[in-house]
Amino acid sequence: MKKVKLLSTLVAFSIMLAGCASSANPQTPAATSAGTDTAATAAPVKKNLTVAYSEGGTTLDPAEANDLTSDTLVLAAYDQLVTYGIKTENGASIANTEDIKPMLAESWEVNADNTVYTFKLKSGVSFQSGNPVDAEAVAYSFERVAKSSSGSFLYGMASIKSVTVKDASTVEVTLTNANHNFLQILAMYTFSIVDQKTVETQGADYLKTNAAGSGPFKLTKWDPATEAVFTANDSYWQGAPSLGKVTLKFTKEASNRVLLLGKGDVDMAIEIPPKDVSTLETNKALTVASNASNRILFFAMNNKVKPFDNVKVRQAINYAIPYDQLLSGVMYGQAKQMKSAVASNTPGFTDAGYVYEYNLDKAKALLKEAGYEKGFDFDFTLGSGFDDWEDDAVLIQAELAKIGVNMKINKLARAQFLEQQKTNNLTSYISKWTSFVNDPGYHLGFLLYGKGSSNYINYQNAEVDKLWEQANLETDTAKRTELYKQAQEIITTEAPWAYLYEYNRIVGMSNKISGYAFYPDEVIRFYPLSITE
Amino acid sequence: MSTAAHSAQGSPAKPAPAKPRTLLSLLLHNRLAAIGLTFILIWTVVAIFAPWLAPHDPFVTDMANKLQPPSGSHWFGTDNFGRDILSRVLYGARISIWTGLIAVSISFLIGMPLGGIAAYYGGRTGTIIMRVMDVLLSFPSLVLSMAIAASIGAGLSSAMIAVGIVGIPEFARLMFGQTVSLREKEYIEASRAIGVKDRVILYRHILPNALAPLMVQATLGMGFAILTASSLSFLGLGVRPPIAEWGAMISEGREYIISGQWWLVTFPGLGIATSILGFNLLGDGFRDVLDPRLRSGK
Repeated sequence: MKKVKLLSTLVAFSIMLAGCASSANPQTPAATSAGTDTAATAAPVKKNLTVAYSEGGTTLDPAEANDLTSDTLVLAAYDQLVTYGIKTENGASIANTEDIKPMLAESWEVNADNTVYTFKLKSGVSFQSGNPVDAEAVAYSFERVAKSSSGSFLYGMASIKSVTVKDASTVEVTLTNANHNFLQILAMYTFSIVDQKTVETQGADYLKTNAAGSGPFKLTKWDPATEAVFTANDSYWQGAPSLGKVTLKFTKEASNRVLLLGKGDVDMAIEIPPKDVSTLETNKALTVASNASNRILFFAMNNKVKPFDNVKVRQAINYAIPYDQLLSGVMYGQAKQMKSAVASNTPGFTDAGYVYEYNLDKAKALLKEAGYEKGFDFDFTLGSGFDDWEDDAVLIQAELAKIGVNMKINKLARAQFLEQQKTNNLTSYISKWTSFVNDPGYHLGFLLYGKGSSNYINYQNAEVDKLWEQANLETDTAKRTELYKQAQEIITTEAPWAYLYEYNRIVGMSNKISGYAFYPDEVIRFYPLSITE
Repeated sequence: MSTAAHSAQGSPAKPAPAKPRTLLSLLLHNRLAAIGLTFILIWTVVAIFAPWLAPHDPFVTDMANKLQPPSGSHWFGTDNFGRDILSRVLYGARISIWTGLIAVSISFLIGMPLGGIAAYYGGRTGTIIMRVMDVLLSFPSLVLSMAIAASIGAGLSSAMIAVGIVGIPEFARLMFGQTVSLREKEYIEASRAIGVKDRVILYRHILPNALAPLMVQATLGMGFAILTASSLSFLGLGVRPPIAEWGAMISEGREYIISGQWWLVTFPGLGIATSILGFNLLGDGFRDVLDPRLRSGK
């Protein structure tokens, strides 16, 4: 067995080498290379934007994109039927996911029982290839999502039953039941409208490494190991972007991103470590946008594995976590205490049932009641890639040791961690979650609903399931919120997780950049950005 | 150095370990080897007595005193959890020396017989063994040890095994070369002629005569093993938190270099540097002392 494993590692390694070789000559998308030269000479000189990103992305296919960089690349090159509005909160621009604005769809109508949506497409809009954006392309794009491995789950979350082309500019979407999240899900990158004719002539794999959209930027280069380059689509239907070129530099090490930003080598850097925020803020050429996000971090305990099948043990863990140390020591104040399974800036949040604080005596008493007076050993899996996770784990480990609980930390590479998580067998781990649709139904549906696809810790509560199902069919917002609140209270009391904190989304950027808005999906939209001198 | 060489000229150059006194005095007269030996002795003493030498508990976190620069109460400063870096460096010596010993033992105990068998019997067996060693050697050692460690699963013991396996071909090739030349010696032929078993010839006659270069390789290999094991820990394939290991400490502290907390990486880095330097100097000294040609040339 070991030998097989070793052999496969070696094989994987040689494949990796082969991959490096091919990425040294990154694919230049055919569709864009023709037009760029003429466009560059005709247009006035525009400012270029360079952004330091952490990861290089995995695919350009909107239906399969499932990580921050891939999502960012997709949103730069594609448009959706609808999009989110923007609101201003404390002087910062923040996307309002409940405010749905038209994008490729000019208008839409809904029937009386909220199950049939009829979209009217904007006329005269064309893809970057010149093909028109028509109803056929919309139906085709939706069909791709339904068949995809990553996006098909969202297709189900949106309750889409069928998509019918009425005429060249009208599409009718029928739902299985009324779904208050439907339009919010449609605004996601997954439901980007792809250029059917280009895909059909280029073949099915074309979209993995090329973009075929109607978006504001044309992809000219994508090499996941180094950088991605976009040039402005000057014939964009909403008007040419004010940026000429956008370059994403893939810089894995956080300290390197901070250095690049500090020295002015990049105009913008994402995922700034909290400890470097105060230093960057003293740099007069920079602005640090730190927004409360709905990205949560929790300590998950497998509800089917001993001793975490005992609610008292889970509650004891909740009392043994040094919350203040995590917030101030690890996150340097760039996070907020989490008091429900749902993020506090999600509509319908409640902290009812939240009684936990750092109190080792209470933790000990609960362990005694549970029959673990002498403590116990348990396995904890630490996924790599996020420095704060390891810091949190070490601090929690130190506290648990004080009540006789021995937490054995096993480190795993991120890919392996995600793989293991899916087996529903990990005893405990720390994980983050961002709900792109800022709604408790969407959020709990993934994570804590009995059949939720990301309920990796086997949390089963018949009442929570019933409340969630009931809320899903409820069209009255106030009643629905009430149901979600009841569910949250039960969850918080039963403590399938220990709540750690809600992250701030930290983006550092040059003062010359304007137009930045924070979106709950944490993807930067490049189109509204501009650079002034 | 030269005087030592002269005084030892009369003694036969072969089974050196059998005369530890001579060897030690030879080594001590080689200035670089003496420095190396000093470093190793210091780290060995530290490793053995770490619990008594360490001023603080290396695992107790103290967030109120995190990232303190070196001072009277914390000579090497504190890390991002407020743990005392001096104590962690001292405890780290245990892990590093231990890892080096185990890894080199694995390499030695597997590589030496393989090389001996391959050379003594030759033929197809020898070819197969030595070609497998060539395959192992063709990989960059760190990459190979990463692949092995990753496939066994992260942890201290898998790091030891990985580093041990990577070191096997060096020992095998060295033993192979020694055995090939010793095999043709008259006393080996004589042993064969009177019907001594192959196993006995290999163990009793060839091994002691081939030991000198293997000892040099083992000493140099310690340095290599400590460095590779630290690299694995740096890459997250070694020890589990909160164990203090030099490579892991550097990995944890690297984010703090740009914000000015240099002591998080400097002290464990010095630990790695001095211990490897110690083994390399001693290894070079061993070679000088044990190699009759080098000695007589002086």
